[in-house]
Amino acid sequence: MADHHVIIENLVKTYPGAQKPSVDHVSFSLPRGEMLALLGPSGCGKTTILRMIAGLIVPTSGAIRLDGRDVSSIPVYKRNMGMVFQAYALFPHMSVAENISFGLEMRKVGRAEREERVRKALDLVKLAGFGERKVSQLSGGQQQRAAIARSLVIEPELLLLDEPLSNLDAKLRDEMRDEIRDIQARTGVTAIFVTHDQDEALSMADRLAVMSAGRLEQIGTPREIFDRPQTDFVASFIGAGTFFEGKVAGPGVAAVDGLPPLRFVGEAAVGSPVRLMVRPHRLLLAGEHGQPNSFTGVVEHIVYRGQILTLSVRCGSRLLQADLPTHAGVLPQKGDQVTLTVAPEDVTLIGREAA
Amino acid sequence: MQNTSMLGRVAWNTLITLLYLFLLAPIVIVFIISFDTRQYLAFPPESFSFGSYVKVFENAKFISAFWRSLAIGAIVGIVSVSAGMLLSLSLVRYKFRGKAAVNFLILAPFLVPHIVLAVGVMLVIAPIGLLDSYPGIVLAHLGITIPYTVRTITMSLMAVDTRVEEAALVHGASPAMVFWRITLPLVRPGLIAGAVIAFLISFDEATISLFIVSVKASTLPTEIYHYLEYSTDPQIAALSVILILISIGVVVAVERLVGLRRAI
Repeated sequence: MADHHVIIENLVKTYPGAQKPSVDHVSFSLPRGEMLALLGPSGCGKTTILRMIAGLIVPTSGAIRLDGRDVSSIPVYKRNMGMVFQAYALFPHMSVAENISFGLEMRKVGRAEREERVRKALDLVKLAGFGERKVSQLSGGQQQRAAIARSLVIEPELLLLDEPLSNLDAKLRDEMRDEIRDIQARTGVTAIFVTHDQDEALSMADRLAVMSAGRLEQIGTPREIFDRPQTDFVASFIGAGTFFEGKVAGPGVAAVDGLPPLRFVGEAAVGSPVRLMVRPHRLLLAGEHGQPNSFTGVVEHIVYRGQILTLSVRCGSRLLQADLPTHAGVLPQKGDQVTLTVAPEDVTLIGREAA
Repeated sequence: MQNTSMLGRVAWNTLITLLYLFLLAPIVIVFIISFDTRQYLAFPPESFSFGSYVKVFENAKFISAFWRSLAIGAIVGIVSVSAGMLLSLSLVRYKFRGKAAVNFLILAPFLVPHIVLAVGVMLVIAPIGLLDSYPGIVLAHLGITIPYTVRTITMSLMAVDTRVEEAALVHGASPAMVFWRITLPLVRPGLIAGAVIAFLISFDEATISLFIVSVKASTLPTEIYHYLEYSTDPQIAALSVILILISIGVVVAVERLVGLRRAI
């Protein structure tokens, strides 16, 4: 961790007059070349963190280290950051090439080198030949690319992206998602992006930092976050799932209200309360009864979603959510009695939140 | 039905036309009289010539006052825009105690009759010894032009996206550089409109000027006023036509350049 490229230590931001800090003792770090997503609902403090790293907001306390050096006292214009703003914030009175060249001019790079680097940056974002255009003549996707080129041409310490895809329509968003990932991988720049969209975070980032109410809930790879959420918030914010409150009845077995005992994989002391979660796609239609973790119930509700069928199955007092692949033979109908099973390793034990 | 609506439209068009004629009549009459050959103002003229125009250009008092007014207008324009820029920045970008009061004070000259302002300005300027001086008349004019420049610049400044300025900061521009390279170019329409309005107001301001200047710093409007006290000949009409043409010329040039209407 100590040799990581970017280290955020106990970062706090309390706005004057505010009761609670907007960012509350957040720490995380990134190795060089990693892409990290700061994910959370609006108002969770993710954008504030990004702006503190950029230098646009002064932290109340804490440190922002780049290669071990605390940069929090360096003014924004000397930090050498690249930032892509939500609405791109291109300079409207300059051409695309002038926009990209701006950071180089500020760094007193000579004209010939500037032109060469602008040309390469335009190539990188597939805007070759668009240099002389006005910003207003570009489409949303092209403005996005120009903004990325403007940030990368200065070879920044860090690339910061604030909700980079939120201003694009759905189709373009998927395209730019791959594009940004590809550009980041090719340039090897360390990147942090802010998003409230879990799909975006899961598909683009090497690791996710999930935030809620100014605090860092969990940081990990997309798989870790999705399959092993450590807090209630992360479990419910990322993906869907059915939650069970229960008590540990024996090693790897929990007694859950209104259902047969639930087997799970994980360490939990006998007698202690636990919270368990099953993702809808982990519940399978069982051929026969009697397997561990099998629940029999009546289909109450069906939603057909093309590739999957979402069932709501009433088992006693509980309603279980299950996603079945639609190619799986005969599909259950509303009112059918079905048996669902889940493998013990697919039952997620959620770490208790510190009170 | 058809007929009454037709009739209504004709009546309406006639009314509009008459209204415009009424508004334009003085200018049209001045224009015609300026070519009269007689030595007094009367309508309609008996015969036409460019004689009055020649006399205007031979009138040393008018010519030197014209250059003085031009210089005073230019200085007032530049100073109004500089002060207006600073005031607008503080009003749009910063929160401070008494902001509402400052806003009101800037608006105040719109509300107070010029003659009242004139007396007040004279009472301020006289004790500091600036009566009948360039600094005195420039200061007096600034009082009435700055409210206009603050309005035009504030409008432009409010339209500037602060994230664009942040983007410049992040990508390496110092705050001074952000101002020169980003903010200033983006409010340029407001600056030019403000400068032009300030210039035009200063250039044809008479009420306040009459209280401030007498001989050394007399402006063209004050010279015209004094000239009219003793004589009424078509020279005044010719001079008026020239001034109208200059005003129209400036407005058209600026409209072509930056779009004055958009900036106001």
